[in-house]
Amino acid sequence: MIREGAIRIPFKYAAGRAGSRFLVALRDGMRIIASRCETCARVAVPLRTFCPACGGDDLAEVEVGPGGTILAWTETPDAGSYALVRLDGADTAFLHRLVAAPAGCRIGHRVRVRFASSRRASILDIDGFEPVTGEAR
Amino acid sequence: MRRVAIIGTGQTDYASNRSDASQPELVREAAKAAIADAGLRPQQIDAMLISNMELFEGRALPELWLGEAAFAAGKPCLKVATGGTSGTSACIAGFHQVASGLFDVVLVVGLEKHSEGQTQTGMALTDPFWDRAVAAGALGNFALSISQYMAARGVTERQAAMVAVKARRNAARNPHAHLKMPALTVDEVLGSRPLAHPVRLLDMCPQSDGACAIVIAAEEPARRLCPRPAWIKASATRHEQPYIGDIDRRLVTMRTLRDAARNAYARAGIRDPLHDFDVAEIYEPVSYAELAWYEALGFCGDGEAGRLIEDGVTTMDGELPVNPSGGVLSSNPVGASGVIRVAEAALQIHGRGGERQVDGVRTALATGYGVYAWADVVVLGAQP
Repeated sequence: MIREGAIRIPFKYAAGRAGSRFLVALRDGMRIIASRCETCARVAVPLRTFCPACGGDDLAEVEVGPGGTILAWTETPDAGSYALVRLDGADTAFLHRLVAAPAGCRIGHRVRVRFASSRRASILDIDGFEPVTGEAR
Repeated sequence: MRRVAIIGTGQTDYASNRSDASQPELVREAAKAAIADAGLRPQQIDAMLISNMELFEGRALPELWLGEAAFAAGKPCLKVATGGTSGTSACIAGFHQVASGLFDVVLVVGLEKHSEGQTQTGMALTDPFWDRAVAAGALGNFALSISQYMAARGVTERQAAMVAVKARRNAARNPHAHLKMPALTVDEVLGSRPLAHPVRLLDMCPQSDGACAIVIAAEEPARRLCPRPAWIKASATRHEQPYIGDIDRRLVTMRTLRDAARNAYARAGIRDPLHDFDVAEIYEPVSYAELAWYEALGFCGDGEAGRLIEDGVTTMDGELPVNPSGGVLSSNPVGASGVIRVAEAALQIHGRGGERQVDGVRTALATGYGVYAWADVVVLGAQP
């Protein structure tokens, strides 16, 4: 005997202090903000409440991107392409879609963030990374 | 710390759909088999540990029903949930409970029943702000890391396919395994459906239903009950940062597994892993991961994993057979998969591996891998 069932459980997630500041800066200023740890100097994006590397909570706010370099990528038949990109000024990678990327958009290639025209304080206020032509590292 | 050994193992058969049994019935099947294998009665077990993936069971407090099925009513019972490492973490928690003197005999049971729910949805329910809308789940995140690993180490798609073939051929000798494919070829793996570049369908683990259990005992009952106890020489676990962008080239560096291995090897007296281990059961959710783990576990130097699989070093007839059971690539009831690694390593020392038994196993390795880069390492030996 098999019984079918489904569960719908709505949630209201708080982005928190750092997450909220990051999302508002993205929506209102098309700025990508990160935290620079005053203890270990690591610049982590998105903005943090504490340093992911050393655990310190003495952090300064810095702007990174919108340019960056592809560190890793994949391509799926269903969900398109996405990449880990080191945004200029950051020490960590940022995950997003690869948009308008021709075949051959690979590790080491230069990209920049394309912002969405309509923004609602979500990670989707960024459309994704688009290739920067003629620039390679 | 007291000496601790594994004295019994029990497994269900793994399959894509075990609709013949409920979740608790699968747990009971594995628990009963392990307790009988240890020569005990359920009343003689002091405490139980349950491992499963969060959200996969589709009900609140699954440990209530699973615990009861594991003979835990009226006994101490805990659930351990650390993603893919849940099973190895639960085993290690059990070692600690016995080593500390808290209990003399502990049962560990891992379960997953993928067929009942939407486990890919469960995997996608990670961070709601940064990952979920863009890319989440085990496959996509792995595929990203694989592109870096291939670029850094020069590993090829063909070498990864050889891992997938080895696993499914080994599985043909394991009566419990889900994917038994004795005639699978490298070209068939390379010709299978692309999932997320460069990962193809046959590079990836299946979703399996099933349960696995082990019985852990202190020295006195272990020597009395078991002719060849599998002694715990050392174990180590490492957690990792959650945001995928924060981990520096995950599969290339794999700092959690490297550090856990270094720590456990030092305490177990392992100096040359390739020679010192007689068999290894490692948690390889995708073919490429096994190659990365060879390097992280010190079976070879960085950049040499492709040669290791090409030279057949890790096949059943090789110097260090890796995953005689068929591994996670052949059977993956996630919450049980870590327990299976430990049970299969113990089984090899017990000398009860049947057709998949490696001759003269005295030292065995089991590992767990979970979430974005958690790692567990367990070293077993025929001598305490």
